[in-house]
Amino acid sequence: MRDVAIVGMGTTKFKSRWVDKTYYELAFDAAKMALEDAGLEKDRIDCAVYGIYNDFFQRQYQPDAFVHDYLGLGLKPMVRVNSGGATGGAALRIGYAEVASGLYDVCLVLGVEKCADTYNYEMKMSTPEVLRAILYTADMTYDNPAGRTAASGFALAVVAHRDKFGNPTEEQMAKVSVKNHFNATKNPLAQSPKVLTVEEVMNSRMIVEPFKFYDNCLYTEGSSAVILASREVAERITDKPVWISGLGASADYVMPGNRPNIYTFESSRLAARKAYAMAGVKDPLQDLDLAELHDAFTGTEIMAYEDCFFCEEGQGGSLIDDGTVMPDGQLPVNLSGGLIGCGHAVGATGIMQTYEVALHLRGEAGRRQKKGARRGLVQSIGGTLCTWTVCLVLER
Amino acid sequence: MDKQQREAWYLYHQQKYGIPVEYLRREYERELAGQNPMDAPLEIPDKMEVFYKYSYGQQSRFFRELRENQAVYGAKCPQCSKVYCPPRAHCSQCYKPTEWVKLKGTGIIKACTVQHYTTSAFIKKVPFICAYVQLDGTDFLLMTNMEVEDVSKIGVGTRVKAAFRENRHGTITDFYFKPLE
Repeated sequence: MRDVAIVGMGTTKFKSRWVDKTYYELAFDAAKMALEDAGLEKDRIDCAVYGIYNDFFQRQYQPDAFVHDYLGLGLKPMVRVNSGGATGGAALRIGYAEVASGLYDVCLVLGVEKCADTYNYEMKMSTPEVLRAILYTADMTYDNPAGRTAASGFALAVVAHRDKFGNPTEEQMAKVSVKNHFNATKNPLAQSPKVLTVEEVMNSRMIVEPFKFYDNCLYTEGSSAVILASREVAERITDKPVWISGLGASADYVMPGNRPNIYTFESSRLAARKAYAMAGVKDPLQDLDLAELHDAFTGTEIMAYEDCFFCEEGQGGSLIDDGTVMPDGQLPVNLSGGLIGCGHAVGATGIMQTYEVALHLRGEAGRRQKKGARRGLVQSIGGTLCTWTVCLVLER
Repeated sequence: MDKQQREAWYLYHQQKYGIPVEYLRREYERELAGQNPMDAPLEIPDKMEVFYKYSYGQQSRFFRELRENQAVYGAKCPQCSKVYCPPRAHCSQCYKPTEWVKLKGTGIIKACTVQHYTTSAFIKKVPFICAYVQLDGTDFLLMTNMEVEDVSKIGVGTRVKAAFRENRHGTITDFYFKPLE
């Protein structure tokens, strides 16, 4: 396999609604920024991978075709990836394979998502209709009629984890929320920068036990793009390549009845193990300088500490208590603000996380810069109780 | 648009999408009255909808048993003896055709949470229980919701029993779970 580098990247602001842009107009903005960052003309792109999650959100099936057209990439090969919340990470995986295999030299990986064009006229808001659109991704015969949400699926796992290991506690989850909302105050792209207290999080209204309002990410619109290139091309066009040195992926049984338990996410553990082995990461806590983990919910960020082997199984809550994952800690997690602070524009999220880590590795992260960052982790998860996980190790 | 045209617009969209005129008027009066600048984003009502005559394929008997006989069936692998409910025609590990087995309809809650917020289709039912139930005699989990008086009395380990609705349509919601006394 050939070495693959990120040679350009761009992202729109993550916002609750981009009422003045359609999904392909948003995608255009991110693609343009990524091309400018790489110093490439669009015709240098050999192929494209689009991460777009929900067709109801876009109000369009096969939205990738219209993005491709709008970006002026006609006659170039492209493919659309949809792996729930892990769509962005999964798109990066396919883009990596396109270049590493030698099939193509330059690959655009672009994620985009609208969502708030969906609208509940009675309640005068989008969220319940967004959730309704998502519920079509639950098994339509057996699960959809139960009225569950993405949050309730993950809540079942967090409750099971808490019952088995005694954590995460409500307070530990609240600390994660405070951390990520605060980190977002230093990220000009973020949707939810907020200075909160643990008490405010714990007193916010219950959504699905044990998640209160501030334990959940919000729905977001935005687009993020990276341009991947082979070593040969990368070394010719940029002096600040960011290398994808490790990549791991796993897809678990979507029906949890087929799993041995639901208190751990085995797909996440496998993906992390594989990415570390490929990158030569022996002790993640020592070997990584920062991580962007998929914190759709505070409780699942804590589970991710374990699933990414930052600590022993069952010890996740201790890393937020002892400050390890704080901005000044040994391994800062979600300096972007994560999904909770920066936002969750589903198809774009994994690419935004990658953008964030790459920004630190290039030393361009401004007020939130992790000093001397050389190596970082991206974790992208999605689907019922974490069906998919993709992990990437990035290095400069 | 003049007032008459606006009213016609509301009526047309109410008929087309089932959105009451009062909601449409609230959202669109400003736009239709010409108060938005020409370059401002223009929003329109829309809906995605497809009708089906959906086939349950090899799971058909499961739903016919629910509807006709108020019975819950599982599917047993003759090789590894795993019993699936929801049923499947083949064991996903052994790749052998499964056999139908009638279940008692009793079970136990294996994972449980309480939803206080949900999709627009279910929002009027909160708070309700969201749980995975393992039916007795099976090795699988069934997603369910439970509307109960006191959600705090339901949890992991609660024994439950399937109860059938009077009007059954051949869907998974033909039955629901209630706590076993």
